Amino acid sequence: MTVPARPPDAPEPVTARWPDAARPLRSRSARTAPVRPTPAVLGWDGSLLLPGFWMVSLLLVVGGVRIATLLRDGFAAYPVATSVALLLFGLYAVPFWLFVGALDFLEREPPVLLACAFAWGALVATTVSMSGSPAGHNLLAKLGSPELAANWGSAIAGATVEEIAKTLGIVAIALVARSQVNSVLDGVVYGALVGLGFQVVEGVVYSLSAVALAGRGDAVDPVVATFFLRGFLAGPWSHTLFSALAGAGVGYLVVRTDRSAPSRVGTAALALAGAWLCHFLWNSPLLGDGLGYGGLGVLAGLLAKGVPPLLMILWLVRVARAREADFYLGQLAALGDPRVVTDAELAVLGRAGLRAEARRYAHGRSGLRGGRAVRRLQRAQARLAVALSRVVPPGTDPRQLRAAVRSDADAGRWYREALAQRARLLRLRHPEALAPHQRRTTTRRWATGGLVTVAVFVVWLAIRALGGA
Amino acid sequence: MVVSPTRPMPNLIASLAVLVAAALLAFGLPALDRALPAERPVEADQRYEVGAGVSVLPPAGALLDVTRTRPREDRGTALFVLGGVRYAIVVEPFDGTLPAAAERLRQKITAGRGYQVAGVERPAVTATGLAGIRGGYTAPRRAGRYSVFLVDGLVIEVTVSGADAALRGVLDRIDASTRSLAVRSPR
Repeated sequence: MTVPARPPDAPEPVTARWPDAARPLRSRSARTAPVRPTPAVLGWDGSLLLPGFWMVSLLLVVGGVRIATLLRDGFAAYPVATSVALLLFGLYAVPFWLFVGALDFLEREPPVLLACAFAWGALVATTVSMSGSPAGHNLLAKLGSPELAANWGSAIAGATVEEIAKTLGIVAIALVARSQVNSVLDGVVYGALVGLGFQVVEGVVYSLSAVALAGRGDAVDPVVATFFLRGFLAGPWSHTLFSALAGAGVGYLVVRTDRSAPSRVGTAALALAGAWLCHFLWNSPLLGDGLGYGGLGVLAGLLAKGVPPLLMILWLVRVARAREADFYLGQLAALGDPRVVTDAELAVLGRAGLRAEARRYAHGRSGLRGGRAVRRLQRAQARLAVALSRVVPPGTDPRQLRAAVRSDADAGRWYREALAQRARLLRLRHPEALAPHQRRTTTRRWATGGLVTVAVFVVWLAIRALGGA
Repeated sequence: MVVSPTRPMPNLIASLAVLVAAALLAFGLPALDRALPAERPVEADQRYEVGAGVSVLPPAGALLDVTRTRPREDRGTALFVLGGVRYAIVVEPFDGTLPAAAERLRQKITAGRGYQVAGVERPAVTATGLAGIRGGYTAPRRAGRYSVFLVDGLVIEVTVSGADAALRGVLDRIDASTRSLAVRSPR
């Protein structure tokens, strides 16, 4: 079976970055951010033998009991407010989770580990911080002054205790399933989920405090105000972001075994320091009143503190994702089989926007079945790339790669699935999963930018509503 | 789901390190906090800034609990301790009426188990003319007084609590201190 020529109405596809099989040897991932594929050797019973598993389990149980007690007290005193807080912050977590989960399209993380990371942030890091952070504030007041604790306590004590408590969770994930943290991007994903768990429970706890402080019984408006404040104003550049940065450091520490221990530990420490600094700046009283000019000035101050770390970490994610794509797609390219993946599809597969555009393009030309077949083909290509990388090193001869496809059950399964979806696409007269309309992708990017602008405007309105001036 | 083998001994050491680090944050910091004294002497003749421009002359012989004192630009709290008596002042933004502020403070007080408001409320006024309401409450083995003042978008809540005998001995000094509450104008 061969892939027929592109349909005459198809525009020129994106150019592939892998013209020959030798290129992956010099890929960016090989030079700066290597990927250590998960070896397919053991099941879950391997983790059960590790002390790290029991340590994590113990701490999750202790943290779970603490947070459950807190929620039970909340339900007893303010049943409606507690329910609304859980609902709002629970729903708030959904888009964040989906976004973070989608970062790692090529080599998906096991859901149980993602849940474990979230639970560490929600149960363990919050429990540790609820004890440690007030003590840190008090120490600042005792060793410095009440003014120092009042103005800088959250920036110094809060950031220090919380960032360490969350980063311990990423380290714990690496201890439970080290082989699953096989790239810097994986560290980012686990870190972001630890931060997200923390952010959600912290939001609920702050909401209940606001209800108690308001002194108006089981009132919902303090919960809504807290949700706006912590969800909309602080949400986009909060714990999820900080811990993603710390997670990148842990990912580097675990993956870059070719570097010296001091270099890896130093890089991880630097990433943690970066997360702390972002958190410190956000919590600090600097630009606390904004840049003047009322609510608009507060919004400007907010953006000045939040946007630079957001951009920096998004850039880091983009680079880490490109490195990971380099590695896995290099394996597919080396296979040299256009029935499995074409050069143009390789260029599409590494970028979420182009993958989505390829599905839309297929849907437009071949209907629902075309879009579904492209989605399945992309998934099969990604799984095949990961399966191949587990059994053969990068730069392996194409004949050995084909032998691996025949001998490895997982690789064979996804190879056959890719061929099946290719056959389906051929029948649909849409032989190649192309994303020819890059302009559309760009338009969507602008549309996203427009949405962000609207969101900023909503935030500004929220600031005004909360008396931000 | 696949997990590669990892050597148990390094894993044990690293796990213990994580456990110790978490324990240091959760128990070590609070233990260190408890080991250091929280109270500082304050001058009775110098106004103490509670926060948001509100100041007070501390009662003679009072110590300031720095762990419960947080002066900020828009709000603040201060806790003075006289023997076994706690004298707390809380200042925060409030856009309601004085009766609403008093009701809110009563709710906060009675939220504690065994705490009950006792007696009737009476008007209160400070030396600088701030008008408010004051009353009393009881708690297990303790008695208490509260006052609430409203000025310029701020509520000032004062609560005093301690064992009956200890409270009687210092109440005059605390009342004098409460009467000295003043707001810097304009905020």
